[in-house]
Amino acid sequence: MLTRCSHFVFSFLLVAAVALSGCAKRPATTQAAAPAPTGAATSTAAPPSSGTATAQPTTPGGGSGATTGGGTATPAPAATAPARPVPKDFAAVADLVDVFFDFDKYDIRPADAKTLDANAGWLKSNPNHLVLIEGHCDERGTNEYNLALGERRAKSTMNYLVSQGVQANRITIISYGEERPQCTEHTEACWAKNRRAHFLVKPR
Amino acid sequence: MSLRRLSSFVTLVVFVALAAPWTSRAQQQPPQPAPPQRSSQATDVWLNITGGGSRKLNIAVPEFTVVAGSDTGGMAKILAAVTGTDLNFSGLFSVVAGTGAIPPNNPAALAQSWNEFAAAGAHAGLHGLLALRSDRLEGEMRLYDLTTPEHRLIATKKFDAPLAQPRRLAHKIADEVVLQFTGEPGIADTKLAYVLGPLGAKEIVITDYDGVGPMPATRNGSINLTPVWSPDARSLAYTSYKQGYPDLYRMFPFERRPEQTLAAFVGINTSPSFSPDGKSVAMTLSMHGNPEIYVLTLATGTLQRLTRNAGIDTEPTWSPTGRELAFISDRGGSPNVYVMDNQGLGVRQLTSGGFHTQPRWSPKGDSLVYTSRGGVHDLWIVNVNGSNPRRLTSGTGDSQGATWAPNGRHIAFQSNRNGRWQIFAMLADGSAQDAITRGPGDATSPSWSPRLP
Repeated sequence: MLTRCSHFVFSFLLVAAVALSGCAKRPATTQAAAPAPTGAATSTAAPPSSGTATAQPTTPGGGSGATTGGGTATPAPAATAPARPVPKDFAAVADLVDVFFDFDKYDIRPADAKTLDANAGWLKSNPNHLVLIEGHCDERGTNEYNLALGERRAKSTMNYLVSQGVQANRITIISYGEERPQCTEHTEACWAKNRRAHFLVKPR
Repeated sequence: MSLRRLSSFVTLVVFVALAAPWTSRAQQQPPQPAPPQRSSQATDVWLNITGGGSRKLNIAVPEFTVVAGSDTGGMAKILAAVTGTDLNFSGLFSVVAGTGAIPPNNPAALAQSWNEFAAAGAHAGLHGLLALRSDRLEGEMRLYDLTTPEHRLIATKKFDAPLAQPRRLAHKIADEVVLQFTGEPGIADTKLAYVLGPLGAKEIVITDYDGVGPMPATRNGSINLTPVWSPDARSLAYTSYKQGYPDLYRMFPFERRPEQTLAAFVGINTSPSFSPDGKSVAMTLSMHGNPEIYVLTLATGTLQRLTRNAGIDTEPTWSPTGRELAFISDRGGSPNVYVMDNQGLGVRQLTSGGFHTQPRWSPKGDSLVYTSRGGVHDLWIVNVNGSNPRRLTSGTGDSQGATWAPNGRHIAFQSNRNGRWQIFAMLADGSAQDAITRGPGDATSPSWSPRLP
């Protein structure tokens, strides 16, 4: 918990006291400081056109609308904090083997626990590497649920590694839900390959 | 409503009832008088707007008449066609075929045209007057009752639209015609946002509600997911991996206004749903270790946690009153739809026994549509008290990811029944299913905008 908390604070530069108390006590209703959206966040709706309409102040569908991209993001606390490691800086290593899950499950199966024991051994032997655990799902189910399911798979995997002595502050997790399958056929054999936790590492 | 208009409406209603044997489906069943229904707007409603229905009002939409400017682009013909397509889509009207422009300021020619359309079965006539200005289009809608010998004028109204958006003029006219006959505006002047692209590179696209005129809303080469409109139809909340992790953003696609980062906490930041007043966004965050539902107050940045459960809680959707939210949870073993109040209390289970996700509360508040996974995914609808779950889609392929039109009469969704993912639309009773997107690529995760400002 202590490492989680410190990770949390480093990651987000939120109001430290609020973050720590939220992490330590887990109150029923967390009133945490969130990144305040910039700008007038509560712009009110213009009424739907009625009567003799005049020229529209906004032009939905017009070609001049600014498309969003990396360049227009407003500074916001969570976005500007150089907190989480960049996923693309991590690379696969042959010594860390994927583990797999049953449909709509996120518990570690006994055979996969042995795989994770070996993975934990490698990580403990290579203490200068950080690890990124990706949680993945097959295409069945729907994508928002699968984002949560992939998160739970990565989290279960992380918890197992921590229980085997890997430091939690070396581990970052990310869920891709059903968005990045490694097999794209619509068969159970293929789906089984996609219900996985995948490991990537980078030197500290 | 004036007495004169009222009498013409009554005439129309009676005529529609009498005319029922002429409509295709009514030929298979005895005609039944259509009882006028009242909407919540306390406006007189003369067409049954609750379902697919068999009785449609036949309306003539001849080519618009150009009253000013030079119509080099053939806009008078195009806009009449768009208006007619909008009226057909509504499910309330059947557009009577006919051609030929009506010359301006020629009552005799107009009367002759209406006589011909009436003889062809039209109950009403829509005459559009179009003025092409240097910077904008102006249109006047004139709606006639063709069941009266004198072709009584029911309503007139003027609209305009930027030159770059001529279709909006047609959409506004169509929505006004629907308003005149049902008491509630149509939904043609709305947009659809959806996700387009292969796995691993999904971008958000915005089109007219009918799939015409797609324009990119994101161009970041990352994975962009689940766009959701704000109640003022001016912004979209969505999840993007463009900073590496699934974070929540809010864009203003029609304005030169910077994007906002709504949530970029450790873990997932997904499933945005604007409260009906637009002041808050419900979302799923796992920053405390498990996917839970929170509400972000936009003005203050305050987060309130609503769920506290060891399982997965996600996909919040507000009731139209803002007093409750539906969401999905696997706390019972598999995902089902639950409802709680806006403080996270009073949790009740709405569906059971299945794999049920993607709840979307209807704009009228009386029901929720959701996705049920059997062998494939199909859309179901259930009353807000959990009673009468009924199936809306079946057959080949998956149908999922429903989104309501603002009038609650139409539902858009994604289906792969034709071999790739496309956006479809149907009436809320499951009838009239038809593809909206027909271009290349996989189109998923539609969000139907509120009526445009």
